[in-house]
Amino acid sequence: MEKDIRESIEWAKINGDVLKSLESPRPLFWVILVIALSMFGVGLGCEIYQYQIGMGVANLNNPQVWGLYIATFIFWIGMSHSGTLLSAILHLMHADWRKPIYRFAEAMTTFSLMTAGLFVMVHLGRLWQFYYAIPYPSERWVWPNFQSPLLWDAMAIFTYLSSSVIFLFIGMIPDLAICRDHLHPGWRKSLYTVLSLGWEGTDRQWRNFRMTYLTVACFLIPLAVSVHSIVASDFAMSQQPGWHVTSFPPYFVAGALYSGCAAIITLFVILRYVFKFEEYMTLPILKKIVRLTFAIAMVWTYLNAVEFASVWYSHDEASKAVLIQKATGIYAPFWWMMNFCGSVVPFVMMIKRLQTNIPVMFAVSLLLNLGMWLERWMIVSPTFSHGYYPYLWDNNQWPTLVQWGIVFGSFGWFTLLFMGFCKLFPSVSMYEVKEMVYHRSLALKHTERNLAVNATELAEKGAH
Amino acid sequence: MSVSNMLENWSKFRHMHPVDDKPHEEYKWAMAIDLDACSGCNACSVACYAENNLPVVGKQKFDAGQQMHWMRIERYWDDDGREFPDQGAQFMPMLCQQCEAAPCETVCPVGATNHTADGLNSQVYNRCIGSRYCSANCPFKVRYFNWYDYPTTDNVWPAEMTQQLNPDVTVRGKGVMEKCTFCVQRLERAKNNARTEGRLVHDGEVQTACQQACPTSAITFGNLVEPESKVAKKWAHQQVELAAKDVQAKDEQEGGSDLRGYRIFEELRAYPSVMYLERVRESAI
Amino acid sequence: MSQHHILALFNNFNEAEAAVSELRSSTIKGFNFDDLTMKSPIEHPEVESVLGERSANVQWFTLFGALFGGITAFALIAGSQGNFFSQLKGGKPIIPIPPDLVLTYEMFILGGVYITVLGFLVCAGLPARRSKLYSAKVSEDQIGLLVKVDQAAVVTIKSIFTKHQALEIQEEAGK
Repeated sequence: MEKDIRESIEWAKINGDVLKSLESPRPLFWVILVIALSMFGVGLGCEIYQYQIGMGVANLNNPQVWGLYIATFIFWIGMSHSGTLLSAILHLMHADWRKPIYRFAEAMTTFSLMTAGLFVMVHLGRLWQFYYAIPYPSERWVWPNFQSPLLWDAMAIFTYLSSSVIFLFIGMIPDLAICRDHLHPGWRKSLYTVLSLGWEGTDRQWRNFRMTYLTVACFLIPLAVSVHSIVASDFAMSQQPGWHVTSFPPYFVAGALYSGCAAIITLFVILRYVFKFEEYMTLPILKKIVRLTFAIAMVWTYLNAVEFASVWYSHDEASKAVLIQKATGIYAPFWWMMNFCGSVVPFVMMIKRLQTNIPVMFAVSLLLNLGMWLERWMIVSPTFSHGYYPYLWDNNQWPTLVQWGIVFGSFGWFTLLFMGFCKLFPSVSMYEVKEMVYHRSLALKHTERNLAVNATELAEKGAH
Repeated sequence: MSVSNMLENWSKFRHMHPVDDKPHEEYKWAMAIDLDACSGCNACSVACYAENNLPVVGKQKFDAGQQMHWMRIERYWDDDGREFPDQGAQFMPMLCQQCEAAPCETVCPVGATNHTADGLNSQVYNRCIGSRYCSANCPFKVRYFNWYDYPTTDNVWPAEMTQQLNPDVTVRGKGVMEKCTFCVQRLERAKNNARTEGRLVHDGEVQTACQQACPTSAITFGNLVEPESKVAKKWAHQQVELAAKDVQAKDEQEGGSDLRGYRIFEELRAYPSVMYLERVRESAI
Repeated sequence: MSQHHILALFNNFNEAEAAVSELRSSTIKGFNFDDLTMKSPIEHPEVESVLGERSANVQWFTLFGALFGGITAFALIAGSQGNFFSQLKGGKPIIPIPPDLVLTYEMFILGGVYITVLGFLVCAGLPARRSKLYSAKVSEDQIGLLVKVDQAAVVTIKSIFTKHQALEIQEEAGK
């Protein structure tokens, strides 16, 4: 069986390979940056138009008051769960194959959350007064409404974003020290000198570092679960047909992990190719991530089926009608595509030959995320299109180009942030890869020694 | 100061309203709409437009579903294959039900909608940041969002029509949620006058615009706390309680009830303040 | 008596650990074992056994921060709900426990994380002033041992380092 990483990689080579990724970018980088910038520009333009004229240009109406903005918001929050999964959960499980890949996953978490934050703003009718939702002591003694799930969202996402940024930064300190020590002088060296906080790898620093990392990881796991459960509560706590489902919190968390894992595969393929990280982002690790994604896909499929089953067997006529509407009404093509991408496509990942086939896995990961985006949309719009009584039925509504433009622009924003990160900071955690190599080489030596001892014993026995 | 306030009044703050409480002290505004008397003339809707400075959005936006009618007349037809289908039309005037346990109140992130002491569901335009969660959570969908900036939009209130605007009511800009307030400006004026004279508002002293305009007097409005008011008598006669469980006591009896009074979506336990009197259907005759 | 700093670089953990154990077991005049710092590119918990017990107090910060975060959050939220406005919403009590607990939980985590990180910075002494002797090799693949000794003990220490195959020894005169 192939190894996750070659145990004989020299540590100096690890430094060299990763630091090479921080060198001046090739022309292709600038091309893609310009494309991402223009995508973001499209989104910005649409938002300015909407800001000036009013939310009506998004073709929202009564009762279709929420459209793609909420759906995409939840999509981006969901994608952010990847970093926590890799950093925290796999860390607690001592799965060291996460070490080469968790750095960019954590970066993805941070930037997904920043992108989701955009949508909170875009979705508000009077976004210039968003600060009313911040609990600050005002002269009017008016505080936000702490009963509202949307406000829980605001608090939870703030907590999650700041904790992720802190976790990312703290985890990067040893690597920033490496950058400080080994990169040429210039503005970047001053940046790393400041950011690495004088880290020198003393035993005192490592000891406290280890404890801090473990403690924050232990906090991040319940945080990640609770953040997406709170986001799910936006729907679960209302009594609209199709939303008032108790399984929504775990369903959303499963969807988030699913989305995040698929995004990890996408970025894995891209970074491996662009930065030539084949030694670190190895095919066995890809295989493990693919299999993990498949497992989560099955969990999501189960929870999806549970939602359908619990509605189908209930006496809640309104919810049943919404479910039938989803499957046969005007949104049906999207609903079926969601189910196909979410539940059928993952089975490609079970074909052993294809698990390490890079183009196929890349395409599959994109399809999975498409399915997850559609899932969020299919939660929002069909419920509004088929309300409690006949006056509220057949309220089909399609988003305008303004909505699509802003959704499109958010991908450009995310790409901009991520590309900036990859060129400024090491996207593979050098010290963790060294640890991985070190412990695996120790284990290998131990096994070899044991084999040698056994062989000697056998030889001795044979001699008698 | 807040923490001490909280600790002092802890038991009061932990009380559930309206289920545990006596609902209201002096005033609880409620309505009764007789669907048998309603002819679907839409005078109530027009009066509401006039009284509350509602913008007329135009045909295109109305078709797109962006209408602003706080009081809407919903039309239903019996599908019984008769020769003249319009004959079977039924009309439901639908307005904000001013629910005692309003689903919209809990979910506003900034607290722009609350329950007042006189039993109304208030909407504070200045506080609203336009998240539209309240509308998403309303089972009746009687909340209307300002999708555009109507005061600056052409042909909403062309030139001299601005003279018609009610000075007691604001004109809302874009991004704000609005809905029926039971003509709170009229209620406030009536309560002020009564308070100056050291009394409570008499029954019939204040009328909502829709009630005032209705040609068949289908709408009854008043103070549910005052037992002699018309609306309280109607509710009592129909045996509809304000804060029942999820079904009224009279409907739990064997064979249901012959009384016409009901509230919409009783099972959602929003405890609406509007009682409808069922139309006596032609097919029942 | 002037103090000298000596930095020795080793190729791997075994050699460095051997040097440290010898230094620990020996009594050299002018050298205090607590003045020894080990610098490495990766963490190595096994080092604890040779270096001896050294404290790490980060988790006390965590406990304090989490409790502080949770309690403050509940007080703030319930206090703001119970202020003189005390508005009724949606048929719930004015101070409803379930939403308050959700936010208390979130802020418990927020407080825990922030104060843990603060604790890390305090306990690890970051941002740190750079030591007089440092080699970039420490962040690459070599392990460094930094000692602060009196003039008299310099030669002894250096010989111990050389005995354990130190790759490089840097010396610097103290203040």
